[in-house]
Amino acid sequence: MSLPFHAHFTARPGTARRIAARGAGLTVVAGLLASCASPAGTQAVSADATPVDGGVLNVSISAEPGCLDGHGISATQQQFLGRLIYDNVVTLDDNGEMAPYLAESWDISEDGKTYTFHLKEGVTFSDGSPWNATVFQQNLEHMRDPATKSPLAAAYIAPYVDGTVIDDHTFEVHLEYAYTPFLYTLAQSWLGMTSGKAITESPGTLCQNPVGSGPYVLEEYQPGQSISYAKREGYGWAPEWLGETGEAHLDGVEVTVVAEPVIRHQSLVSGQYGLTENLAPQNAAAVQADPAFTYENLPRTGSPYVLGFNLNREPFSDPAVREAFAAAVDTEAVTESLGFGTYTPVDSYLSKESKYYDPSVEGIPHDPERAHQLLDDAGWDSRDAEGFRIKDGERLTVEVPTVEASAPSPLLVQLQGEVRQAGIELEIIQLPQAQLTELRYAGDYDALAGVWHTNTTDVLFIRYHSSEITGERIGQNSSYVNDPELDEILLRARGAADGPEAEEAYSQAQHRLTDLVPGLPLYENPSQFAYSNSVQAVATDTSHPVPVLTYAWLAQ
Amino acid sequence: MRAAPDPGRTAGSWPAGVARRIVLRLVVGVGVLWGAATLTFLAVYLIPGDTALLILGGPDARPTQEAIDRVRQDYLLDEPLAIQYLHYLGGLLQGDLGQSYRLRIPVAEAIGQQIGSTAQLAGAAALLALPLTFAVALTSAQRRPWIRSLVSGVEVVCAATPTFVIGFVLLMMFSFSLHWFPIGGNQGPASVVLPALTLALAVFGPLSQVLRNELDDVLEQAFVLTARARGMRNAQVRVRHALRHAVLPVLTMSGFLIAALLGGSVIVETLFSRQGVGSLALASVYEKDLPVIIGVVLLSAAVYVVVNLGVDLLYTLIDPRVVTA
Repeated sequence: MSLPFHAHFTARPGTARRIAARGAGLTVVAGLLASCASPAGTQAVSADATPVDGGVLNVSISAEPGCLDGHGISATQQQFLGRLIYDNVVTLDDNGEMAPYLAESWDISEDGKTYTFHLKEGVTFSDGSPWNATVFQQNLEHMRDPATKSPLAAAYIAPYVDGTVIDDHTFEVHLEYAYTPFLYTLAQSWLGMTSGKAITESPGTLCQNPVGSGPYVLEEYQPGQSISYAKREGYGWAPEWLGETGEAHLDGVEVTVVAEPVIRHQSLVSGQYGLTENLAPQNAAAVQADPAFTYENLPRTGSPYVLGFNLNREPFSDPAVREAFAAAVDTEAVTESLGFGTYTPVDSYLSKESKYYDPSVEGIPHDPERAHQLLDDAGWDSRDAEGFRIKDGERLTVEVPTVEASAPSPLLVQLQGEVRQAGIELEIIQLPQAQLTELRYAGDYDALAGVWHTNTTDVLFIRYHSSEITGERIGQNSSYVNDPELDEILLRARGAADGPEAEEAYSQAQHRLTDLVPGLPLYENPSQFAYSNSVQAVATDTSHPVPVLTYAWLAQ
Repeated sequence: MRAAPDPGRTAGSWPAGVARRIVLRLVVGVGVLWGAATLTFLAVYLIPGDTALLILGGPDARPTQEAIDRVRQDYLLDEPLAIQYLHYLGGLLQGDLGQSYRLRIPVAEAIGQQIGSTAQLAGAAALLALPLTFAVALTSAQRRPWIRSLVSGVEVVCAATPTFVIGFVLLMMFSFSLHWFPIGGNQGPASVVLPALTLALAVFGPLSQVLRNELDDVLEQAFVLTARARGMRNAQVRVRHALRHAVLPVLTMSGFLIAALLGGSVIVETLFSRQGVGSLALASVYEKDLPVIIGVVLLSAAVYVVVNLGVDLLYTLIDPRVVTA
């Protein structure tokens, strides 16, 4: 579980509102500080400068998961934190292609159900224990062990049946069905490899004392506050795309939780921290304008921010109402205002950064006239005293629950205003997190806003396949899309090996979704971070667009 | 406060009433702790929503049914309220505060990791607030109206301004602009200055108001006039005679002081990105981490009980009449 501020932070609109409210305050601060030049004002170092060894990089982070065992959590911050201490079996390289990491190569059987991994030799965990086929097996078992209480990893490897240790460095995985996303999920930060010795001897302490084989080692962990990492002595198995081998240049990384966005920004500018893992959008312009800093705004792959409609009940069971709602909203204007110009509007159910994104898919354009026409034709043609549309005496109301906050979600407030003009009432229902989750699993809502980040296009299966509707087990198809045609396409897509067949299937799926209108796509799920120019060689991953500090170094 | 020797009794031999008083206080204290544990347990239990889903669910989770079942089983979530409560009380009696849902470590350990930082903050705040209170109240009582108005205005501003605002203003001035202090964190003594000052200002306002009002009253008493008539200097009169009488209501407010310091630490620790019990409590409330929430409440209640006991004893030192009263 994660702290209040998920970096899926868009899924917690209450927090976003808090940021927005402070935006005004910040302007004042900025004014007061206008005369105060950046004390961190280091000069940019040219890209081909020789790395300097030594130093500790201070990093501020918006929240931390409370548990550092990636298998046992789903927190967004793990994308960044996991890369420090864990290595993965495979990785996605600069081009998003599958590449070796702790596995040197792998063979996939014709039917896609058997994977034979040839593991790298000579890799050790920080407790000195070796990486081998048995340890790989222990990790998969640990992910799905109910005692691990996994909210994410277990579901990602759900088709895993069992494995065979062929020899010390050859491991054979048996899947229940062809599941191409398997390798992709193994590249994700949450599925990093843990010491087999630690899994056997002290599984209860992995949260507080995780043991990986990565470029850094956990030194001290103060839950909720700070995490200290030291360079792993003798490290030498980084993925090729990082362009270097050997130990990290930094002596260590000190990660501190700084919950308040304004403080995160100010303490970056003041030089107290060299890098912030999460820069609030309202601070982006200031940091971007400052030549002493590098600001990154990278979309996360997967499902962008979507207001998902509940197709299971009135009024969104009617496709005309769904289309009308989408046509009534000026997505670009809403997005511009919400993200202080840093959010990228989308009109598709798949991030443009995702593999197999099909640019020929076109969403529903903003067209208030069409919205009116569609609603009139659907029978919502009369209005009540307040100007809302009614049919059979019922008002056209859309209930959108959200997590409670001091002020309602700015996104929902904006959408409320947009659809008001079309005669639709959007009712914002603020609830405590636990109750919201219950209601979500019960399907008791008309629409829900959210994102789902994953490095595989299988996100469309997770979000829109009928088997992912919460019933006996919990799924993420919160739109209750139950379309046999889409189901067939998505099943075909996840079973197809990477290549033209998968591309074709995913393209069909994207087109089909545009016909179904399961929600209103809003904007890309952004990873926004910034660092001082004294910090060099900050890499980013194509699985998760977060800073990778393996070979980062501090300029003198 | 060091009390002047009392001719009526010698040090080390308190009347029997004091011992009885302490025992009674301790019994009441245990009752307070039990009540606090019970009320918090019920309050958190009554927050709507399935705790297992809160632990594993949420917008970024996709738990398997096996994991959810395991959580229910491990944390007795399927048991009736009475069983959960009795089990919890049983644990408490054995000194077991339970296991944090979120951190997956024993609650005592989770609180133990944070308590030093909060004690440092609260201690520093008290060290700033108390001398400030005494200095301001002693120098401003029974002075010209404009001085009183000015001081009283400052007190009201300190008491009425939300801690968050005070902290933010201090941050803007001394960290963002002047760079005298770090913006947050726990590194080094400098990092405690602004948070402690923020907390100190919040408690200074009300304490100073009470002390000054008392001093105003006391300074009009006949014995003060007598003291002056005997030729005592003004400062002597204020410190040696008036203060001893006026300080009792301030002592009574020590409970308030502790509550303000503990409550304020939630805000101050969050604002200044400090570790501590306050930020632990906040994170635990967000995540409905019941065992930790009750643990923090119990800790606060225990501190409260101990402080009140201490205050009681101090009364008897400062004003012997209290024992017989």
